[in-house]
Amino acid sequence: MDHVADIQLPVGASTAGPTSDADEVDLTPVRTFWQLVRQRFLQHRLAVIALVIMIVLVVLAIAVPIIAGEAWRKTNLKTIFLPPSLDAPLGTDGLGRNIFARLMQALQTSLLVGTLAVAIIVFLGATIGAIAGYVGGFVDNALMRLVDIVLSIPVFFLIIMLVAFFGGGDMRVIILAIGLTGWTLAARLVRAEFLHLRETDYVQAARALGASDLRIVVRHILPSAIAPLIVAATLGIADSVVAESTLSYLGFGINPPNASLGNMLSDAQEYLFRVPILIVYPAFTLILLVLAASFIGDGLRDAFDPRQRIEK
Amino acid sequence: MSAAIPVLPRPADRNQTDNLLELKGVRTHFFTRDGTVKAVDGVDFEIRHGQTLGVVGESGCGKSITALSVMRLIEKPGRTIAGDITLEGRDLLKLSAEEMREVRGNTISMIFQEPMTSLNPVYRCGDQVAEAVALHKKVSDKEAMSRAIDMFQQVGIADPKRRAQSYPHELSGGMRQRVMIAMALSTNPELLIADEPTTALDVTIQAQILELMKALREQNRMAIMLITHDLGVVAEMADEVVVMYAGKVMERASVTTIFEQPHHPYTQGLLASIPRLGEHRERLEVIKGTVPNPLNLPAGCLFKRRCPYAMPICNTPPPLRAIGPDHVSRCWLTPEGEPPSIGPDATPEVAEAAARELTVEVSA
Repeated sequence: MDHVADIQLPVGASTAGPTSDADEVDLTPVRTFWQLVRQRFLQHRLAVIALVIMIVLVVLAIAVPIIAGEAWRKTNLKTIFLPPSLDAPLGTDGLGRNIFARLMQALQTSLLVGTLAVAIIVFLGATIGAIAGYVGGFVDNALMRLVDIVLSIPVFFLIIMLVAFFGGGDMRVIILAIGLTGWTLAARLVRAEFLHLRETDYVQAARALGASDLRIVVRHILPSAIAPLIVAATLGIADSVVAESTLSYLGFGINPPNASLGNMLSDAQEYLFRVPILIVYPAFTLILLVLAASFIGDGLRDAFDPRQRIEK
Repeated sequence: MSAAIPVLPRPADRNQTDNLLELKGVRTHFFTRDGTVKAVDGVDFEIRHGQTLGVVGESGCGKSITALSVMRLIEKPGRTIAGDITLEGRDLLKLSAEEMREVRGNTISMIFQEPMTSLNPVYRCGDQVAEAVALHKKVSDKEAMSRAIDMFQQVGIADPKRRAQSYPHELSGGMRQRVMIAMALSTNPELLIADEPTTALDVTIQAQILELMKALREQNRMAIMLITHDLGVVAEMADEVVVMYAGKVMERASVTTIFEQPHHPYTQGLLASIPRLGEHRERLEVIKGTVPNPLNLPAGCLFKRRCPYAMPICNTPPPLRAIGPDHVSRCWLTPEGEPPSIGPDATPEVAEAAARELTVEVSA
């Protein structure tokens, strides 16, 4: 600390120099990046509606299973196909289970799978993309060929294989399977940002200050590369939810008695002609969830684009 | 190898005898697909404690690459392939990456040409200066920040506390260069490398920034390596001047000698091309021709194709030799500026070169 303090202004000496008008700065509050992003996002009407729907869905998916407890899995053959009532707002299914409670349980599963899979996607994509873009050269080539290889694998069959190998019905396997195959887009986006940002003057300046590579990557480049990553993550949630539902529908994902939008669809299929309304509930929920995630992603993409004008 | 350099008044608390930075035969080449670019090809100079060395030359003459070589920030496909860069007795080229990081920003700081883009747009200015401090000093975040605000004050930023909370885009170019200077000096370095620090600024701000650098130089007793193509800036700031051309040092002397008795025809050309106040001339003097293609440098003297004094002996590369006290030049001309005698009274170097020249002619 001593060393730091040893630059002292000599008495009477001023290094300030004349401060001319040209050096004066307009100190009126300037909107920060995030304020601008929020403003642009709020202009995107569909995205705002989608965000509200998403919030409602998330709250329901968390709250209902807590309040309803075991209702979603209790079978009762005396109460099958009941019409909606106060107790079961959407009626009961072919095994007498409370459809609303089950639907919300399924929604929770889908959201959990979607979020955790996206967490893996973001982590892998950011790490691999950052290394490829920052290091460049041979490493970049090798990692991008790895991306090509992962992309060339028919993902769905790979996931089915993984699930078959590690055992179906385990949520962790499904999350891992989706995550390990879905990171390629995020990696490419992050790499592209890094290729551009590593050449910027401020990265050079940080290097000249003695910052380590890790510090430069994490502190100086990643924050600027965050926008495409957030967009990829939001859109990734939609993809992951669909992937999980498809797997569960086909019987490779979440298996009954556990609830998932996918296996609720396949359950409902049995009664397609007797009680067609059963298929509407999970299908509608799925559509709502995926659309909400997509529109939020769209809205964010526009909001992060500095060329988008702010109206008014 | 070089002539003695006049002793400058140096702060008492510094080692009197040693050079701060010494470059010997530094070669930094870029291995491109089209061939090897010898961006820096055998550069020698030294900077003493508290001294300001001006490095001048046209664009592409290797000034910036020399600075980046000192910082060891040359990126692929470039590499410093030969030479010694000695900082206070330590060869920088032999340091580990980690030791070198400790030197950068701490013993040697660098400021860049473009203040508009050299600050990270996503962090507040104060945080960036504080980071520079925290990288090298064991201080708490709070101490680093107070140091940053202190530095803002020193570089003449009004209302430093508030400006420390500003983002770079909220500041003008001159202000940002002040922030860059604050950042570079926050660790109290021995040497500041300033790579065209005023080129991107308008003239009034240039003067302010130069004044600021001068004041801080006195105050912190640091050496400056000032890279510029503006001879006016050199005259203003430097104690000694190195003139570079095509990756080589062409002439080196004290600033008065360079301006009053330039020896090398290139230096003379540079000086002649400055417009002078109160002089009526239709056109400015120019140095004829262009800088040679770095992929295809001429044999012999690199300047011969553009030199008004070019003579046969120039086909042999001239050595950098003393032509006066504290004055070296890479030219065959005699210290008086006459063509060298190749008769019986020729110096051994000239005689050898002349002999070689004659053999070439005979064999051709």
